[in-house]
Amino acid sequence: MNFELFIPNIVKIWTNYWRLFLIDGLSVTIKFTFIAVLFGVLLGTVVAMLKMSRFKLVRFLIGVYVEVIRGTPILLQLYVFYFALPQIFTFVKLSQTTWVAIALSMNSSAYVSEVIRSGIQAVDKGQTEAARSLGLSSGQTMIKVVLPQAVRNILPALGNEFIMMLKETSLASTFYLGDLMTQYRIVNAATYLGFETLVIIGIIYLCITFPLSKLVGLLEKKMSGEKSYKKHSKKPDFRERKFGKV
Amino acid sequence: MEEMIKTVDLHKSFGELHVLKGVNQTIHKGEVVSVIGPSGGGKSTFLRCLNLLEKPEKGKIYFEGEEITGNLTDEEKKAIKAGTMPKLPKVNIDIHRQKMGMVFQHFNVFPHLSVAENVTMAPTLLKKKSKDEATELAKELLNRVGLLDKYDDMPSNLSGGQKQRLAIVRALAMEPDVMLFDEPTSALDPEMVGEVLEVIKGLVETGMTCVIVTHEMAFAREVSNRVLFMAEGNILEENIPDELFGHPTHPRLQDFLAKVL
Ligand SMILES: Nc1ncnc2c1ncn2[C@@H]1O[C@H](COP(=O)(O)OP(=O)(O)OP(=O)(O)O)[C@@H](O)[C@H]1O
Ligand SMILES: [Mg+2]
Repeated sequence: MNFELFIPNIVKIWTNYWRLFLIDGLSVTIKFTFIAVLFGVLLGTVVAMLKMSRFKLVRFLIGVYVEVIRGTPILLQLYVFYFALPQIFTFVKLSQTTWVAIALSMNSSAYVSEVIRSGIQAVDKGQTEAARSLGLSSGQTMIKVVLPQAVRNILPALGNEFIMMLKETSLASTFYLGDLMTQYRIVNAATYLGFETLVIIGIIYLCITFPLSKLVGLLEKKMSGEKSYKKHSKKPDFRERKFGKV
Repeated sequence: MEEMIKTVDLHKSFGELHVLKGVNQTIHKGEVVSVIGPSGGGKSTFLRCLNLLEKPEKGKIYFEGEEITGNLTDEEKKAIKAGTMPKLPKVNIDIHRQKMGMVFQHFNVFPHLSVAENVTMAPTLLKKKSKDEATELAKELLNRVGLLDKYDDMPSNLSGGQKQRLAIVRALAMEPDVMLFDEPTSALDPEMVGEVLEVIKGLVETGMTCVIVTHEMAFAREVSNRVLFMAEGNILEENIPDELFGHPTHPRLQDFLAKVL
């Protein structure tokens, strides 16, 4: 490798291919990430609730689901969804991209469900006891007391999940699905300047993940501790404004 | 006197640990009963069994005449099997809990709700009161404990003593028939103990039935009609305060009082 040409090569690749990176690749990467996290959160919420079900069999099955997904490589899961399932379910007509998106979503759902579950468990047990002692049912306690507090543990962790997923979508390049890493393979094949291309792509990933993780850190700080609960800015109603409080 | 809460042969274990060993006790309407005793003796467990925050595995609890544990005696199980006794309907504990206020050592106020919402949430959610009625009552109760000026504040802006007063008001807003206190002042800085005890005293004067687990012996002696000494999973002695504190008979109680007084 010629180090003197390193910077000029990077400039050259960038000027020739920036559209491939920024317009084609990045948009696919972000699309995959958004879809995976969105459905991951929806499905993960359901999974988390089922995990707390009163039925032992349901809890067991959900436990298996979560353990299998968390205990096997995501690449293996992608292979299953990309190669195996379309052959088994031949009557399901889905694009390859959709199969991969489903795999990423399911993978995300397992992690998200754990995030939600631990977020709920981190809420002081005394809160539940206080609510139940007032006569609230377990459902009312969950909705009115536990979840509003758990959200503060869950939201920052979901931000982290988004960052993780953004990086993991790079595995879609295994199947040439057009994400950022796929663009690397295309550009590398055309230029044989693999390292320079990787540096560019790495910087693009960093440009997104670094601010995001700073943001998550901020969110974490903003949402921790009792003091962080602000009064919702409900405007005093007409009477109170006119005649003063009480 | 009318019976408010009656326990019969109440047993509670945590795994191997047998904490309540057949507690028989009756709390009457209008009574103020203090529970004292050494740490680990089962006072909290007893209190928490009364509103089924802990589920006793054996024995019965009658609240205002109604059995609330759903536990059956061996004879009842036999009779149901033989068909000579109908199956008992499932108890809806939430309904009963609405009539039993509970105050915790660590306040457990809801940090995500304002002071006002802490008080009005349960009565409005459980359809006991309209929004306006609940607000009215909240203002009246908060005023009574000196927290009306905190009406719109968040609990994080309250001191420990204020939080506990809020917790008491939150329970009172459900207009309960009995109030259960589990060491309401133990987590407070010493200078805030007085204000909370004053509020409880005020409540006692309204005729509220109270069961108070406490380490404040002077307070127990002052407000109670009756004091229970609980140790080793049972009530070892009970009496009117002057007798119990003045002439303790059980050696465990004598020992305990010698240490704490
Ligand atoms: N949820 C629980 N799981 C396991 N053990 C428990 C639980 N709650 C209480 N215990 C145990 O039961 C015993 C009685 O506890 P309890 O809290 O009723 O005592 P107490 O009289 O209230 O004591 P203290 O004065 O310290 O509050 C203790 O040994 C305690 O460790
Ligand atoms: Mg206790």
